[in-house]
Amino acid sequence: MDTPESLEIKEKGSLLLEVGSLLMSSGATTRRVRDTVHRISEAFGYHADMLITNRAITLAITDKHEQYFYNSLKRTSPHGINFKVVSGISRMSWRVVDEKWTSGQVRAELNRLTSLPRYPRILVLSLVSLAGASFCRLFGGDALEMAVTFLATFIGLFVRQEAVKMNFNPYLCVFFASFAASLISGLFRKLGVGTSMEHAFTASVLFLIPGVPLINSFSDLIDDNILNGIVRGINGLMIAFAIALGLLGSMIIYRF
Amino acid sequence: MDGFAFLENGIWFGLAAIGFAILFNVPQRTLVMIFVLAALGGLTKLFLVHLGASIVLSSLGGASLIGILSIPASHNKHAPPLVFAIPAVIPMVPGVLAYQMVLGLLHLSGNPAGDIYSQVLSETVSNGLKVLFILMSLAVGVAVPMLVTRKSSSKDIVIGKRKGKAVDGK
Repeated sequence: MDTPESLEIKEKGSLLLEVGSLLMSSGATTRRVRDTVHRISEAFGYHADMLITNRAITLAITDKHEQYFYNSLKRTSPHGINFKVVSGISRMSWRVVDEKWTSGQVRAELNRLTSLPRYPRILVLSLVSLAGASFCRLFGGDALEMAVTFLATFIGLFVRQEAVKMNFNPYLCVFFASFAASLISGLFRKLGVGTSMEHAFTASVLFLIPGVPLINSFSDLIDDNILNGIVRGINGLMIAFAIALGLLGSMIIYRF
Repeated sequence: MDGFAFLENGIWFGLAAIGFAILFNVPQRTLVMIFVLAALGGLTKLFLVHLGASIVLSSLGGASLIGILSIPASHNKHAPPLVFAIPAVIPMVPGVLAYQMVLGLLHLSGNPAGDIYSQVLSETVSNGLKVLFILMSLAVGVAVPMLVTRKSSSKDIVIGKRKGKAVDGK
């Protein structure tokens, strides 16, 4: 028999799982996922226990009198890094506590956050290419090398976006992008345009570096979430390996 | 050291960070702060290198500054510190060293002659260790404020004078 209390705990439990899985897939550390879900569940009046892994979250919640209990498992959605969601959920969790939000309000806010528009594609392509050119400059490249890096990064990121759309394996997407970007910058190096072009060749694949997995891996390790830290670290290494393979492909073709 | 050429690097550190910030889809209100943090952190690193510190220690210095400044930034712009800190430290990633390490590994896998082998091996190990330690120091730098203050949320870290809510209901 479903009582109002058991329906309520079910509704709020699934909401908490949704919060956790969204945070995990958007690039939050394990500690942040746990703290945020705890904060919201305390505000709802439940005690929560969790098992958090990279690909799935298990949640068990009980009410204060231990009369009602809810337990479920949810896979984390493979959406990719989105700091707007991390930041939005973090802000929301404090408002849930301070303003005593209902589950309906939380659900509405989650829907709003996940449907927020990303930056326009052309803006992302241009600014990331500019970032590549900046890297090139920091390594000591001149204006011509920066322009080559810009072009190579632009095409590389475009290839990656298209490959992701076509549902290729994520590491393969990185490989394609690294290969495309280094083919472009390598072409200029092969043709002997400008001085050396070695900086451009190096900088053109740097937009792929797995910064979030590697930094979050360390944060998880130091917080004693060792298993998650190892998983994230290996993930970062696999991406780095895919980048190196793409570079290797171009180097074999151009015989550098 | 030429002052203007030195400060110019700050612009490139900032722009590189903005590119990654856009890639990670950060909230718009945080973009300016990310640029500033990345520029300050990067210049700190370059300055430490100029003073003669090792590249690893300099990266740790720059990343720590970014980690510490990300706390007031997060209070000011209402976003978690990692939203600022991660894009801001990425321009300090040792791309050239990593590239040279990969080149070295490829070279080693191709059976070079004895004396060249040991030279390439030592260069590759040296580059690889630098890459590893720089990456670790970047991650430590980002984590510094949380480790030092022993708080689980940046909301509880008070900088300077205590204001607002009284502590422990006093």
